[in-house]
Amino acid sequence: MSADTFDIQAVSDPLEPRDSDVVVANERSEFVLEVTNFSVDYGVGDNMVRAVNDVTLHLRRSKVLGIAGESGSGKSTLVYAMTRLLRAPGVISAGDVILNVTNPDNETESTSVNLVTASEKELRKVRWSHVSIVLQSALSALNPVLRVGREFDEVLKTHRPDMSKVQRRSRAAELLAMVGLNEDRLVRFPHELSGGQRQRIMIALALALDPDLVIMDEPTTALDVVTQREIISELHHLRSRFGFAMIFITHDLSLLVELADEIVVMYAGEIVERAGARELYDAPRHPYTLGLLNSFPPLHGQRRELTGIPGSPPDLSDLPQGCNFYPRCPFRMARCEHEAPALTSIENADRGVACWLHSPDSPIAVPVELSRTANPARNSAPAERSRS
Amino acid sequence: MTDATLSPSVLSARHLTRHFTTRVPGRFLNAKRVVRAVDDVSLDLFEGRVTAVVGESGSGKSVLARMLARIVTPTSGELVLEGTPIPVRSKRTLDYAAMVQLVLQDPYASVNPVHRIRHALERPLLIHGANKSDVEEQAKTALARVSLEPPERFLDRYAHELSGGQLQRVSIARALCVKPDVLLADEPISMLDVSVRLGILNLLRGLCDSEHLAILYITHDIASARYIADETIVMYAGQIVERSHGTTLVDEPTHPYTQLLISSVPDPSDPTSQDPTKSEHATFAVADVGCRFAPRCPSAMDVCRVEDPPDFIVGEGHTSHCWLHASEPRAAVEMALPQRRREGEPTTT
Repeated sequence: MSADTFDIQAVSDPLEPRDSDVVVANERSEFVLEVTNFSVDYGVGDNMVRAVNDVTLHLRRSKVLGIAGESGSGKSTLVYAMTRLLRAPGVISAGDVILNVTNPDNETESTSVNLVTASEKELRKVRWSHVSIVLQSALSALNPVLRVGREFDEVLKTHRPDMSKVQRRSRAAELLAMVGLNEDRLVRFPHELSGGQRQRIMIALALALDPDLVIMDEPTTALDVVTQREIISELHHLRSRFGFAMIFITHDLSLLVELADEIVVMYAGEIVERAGARELYDAPRHPYTLGLLNSFPPLHGQRRELTGIPGSPPDLSDLPQGCNFYPRCPFRMARCEHEAPALTSIENADRGVACWLHSPDSPIAVPVELSRTANPARNSAPAERSRS
Repeated sequence: MTDATLSPSVLSARHLTRHFTTRVPGRFLNAKRVVRAVDDVSLDLFEGRVTAVVGESGSGKSVLARMLARIVTPTSGELVLEGTPIPVRSKRTLDYAAMVQLVLQDPYASVNPVHRIRHALERPLLIHGANKSDVEEQAKTALARVSLEPPERFLDRYAHELSGGQLQRVSIARALCVKPDVLLADEPISMLDVSVRLGILNLLRGLCDSEHLAILYITHDIASARYIADETIVMYAGQIVERSHGTTLVDEPTHPYTQLLISSVPDPSDPTSQDPTKSEHATFAVADVGCRFAPRCPSAMDVCRVEDPPDFIVGEGHTSHCWLHASEPRAAVEMALPQRRREGEPTTT
């Protein structure tokens, strides 16, 4: 089904069963998720706000894709819409999301499901067993009146009906052990556990059915640094053991550089830069990425004044005519005011940037901060006016 | 920048302690348990200096700020404001509030959503006895001080019309409009977007440098403390475990807890921080006897489990609450300290 003939009704009315025309078994695809020209709106008509605009993403198996951006950049909307969890007034207005799920019987084959057109019945099959999600606030994600064990029990009962009660119980204990928690936590209520423990339980729940893809929506934002470090190491460890692919959403770019293989930076609903994690850190190409990287005070080196990004985050209902970042950009040119740049590949196929500075007919040379080659020592950047 | 050149402190806390008593459920005869939220903390806030308090959740840093603002009454200890001891058990006076102001963590929750920004700024002015005719002028000045310009544009807006960063500036402006000498900022940036955090930090630093405010900056982000603070204090379980001037604390941490905090910060420029084996399972267990950090400490010794260490002086203005620095086992420190030692420039404080 192409984006042109797409019928909004089909998305907003999940109760109506539809035969999906894209379910095919074939050789296992190297991508676990392919998102093409995906757009999401809030509301319809004159008050419509486009929260995600024409996003294209590909995620390879067992890789980590990081999505970075400040609040309102559309990163959470993107993943909720992708998994069809977005509620009204959110509407998917264009695009396809193909999830290639591994066949349980034959690991070398995979089945493609278009999540945008899939019926509720098909979604139910795919959700949790093939794609699971860890939400930001673990306190509100766990049912406060249920013991933790019940949550595990219900998932397994629904998706693995042939398991016995004893098997379910031992699987739950096994899952808790995987995230470093003792079995006795199963009889606890969420309020009896600390924030870090609750988040571990969310991760264990997400992995309960051995999914192909795990989506993490700011799983560590509410935690302090020490707990965050523990959760991140746990994730490293689990991923090397089970080989699931992961989408990790956060506003903390330096955390992503450590964790992700590839990073996309979103601004006002669009991808402004896409690159390998190290490349993005060593050699950012978009002024916004550079600003984000410079927003974190460093742990070492001379103390100097940093400026971050001037101005305030964009208002989606009142975006500039040209480049969305134009009002805040330190390198803006006349062209940026009227023409929006598209995400264009530069240097290699995996790298893209949406900025006129990198177009061949740019009137000014690319500033030195945005033309660094990968792997210079970042600390050798010229010190600005020093303080202290 | 040494203590000798400083004017006397604006606000001093001496042996501040706050214990909370909780009931242990299910125990015989309502057994009580005492939580030592803040234990024997002394600190000084100086004119034109930023003092940062760093610690994870539950370390007592917010209770400390609230005691300094006299919202929470200390169990014991005393406060000295500009040389005058304050009877801490008495009620907070308006005069005290005019000198010491608190800025809270969540700007969305601390600005009244049903009133205009004008109300948030003018009300404290009226309470503190300003003339009705010139409150508007003063409110405008306060907004201009936090770089919300032009002020007229903001006065008649509602909280929901402003972004988080702008609201936090309003919150700071509200604290500033009664012309305090001391500003207590309790995690002022943790709820804000990354791109506007630096703006708030630079604003606080600027207020401190140009208007000689004494600022207490509370945070769990040790990198931001390093960025802004003149003195950094690390708290663990209600106690000060390490304190030092300038960037020394982060550059040369001596307490195992400080080292743990620093190594937890994501730092892509440091390849060792990506080592996933560093996971140690820490629970927030606090020892009743001995050093409070001993149950989590990677270099805990026998003495740590028996006796609470005193503060050892490990450098100029640099103290560490750890037995590793008792004169004998000093060598052990170097062994426990491989992580973030760096040959950066020597920091002069």
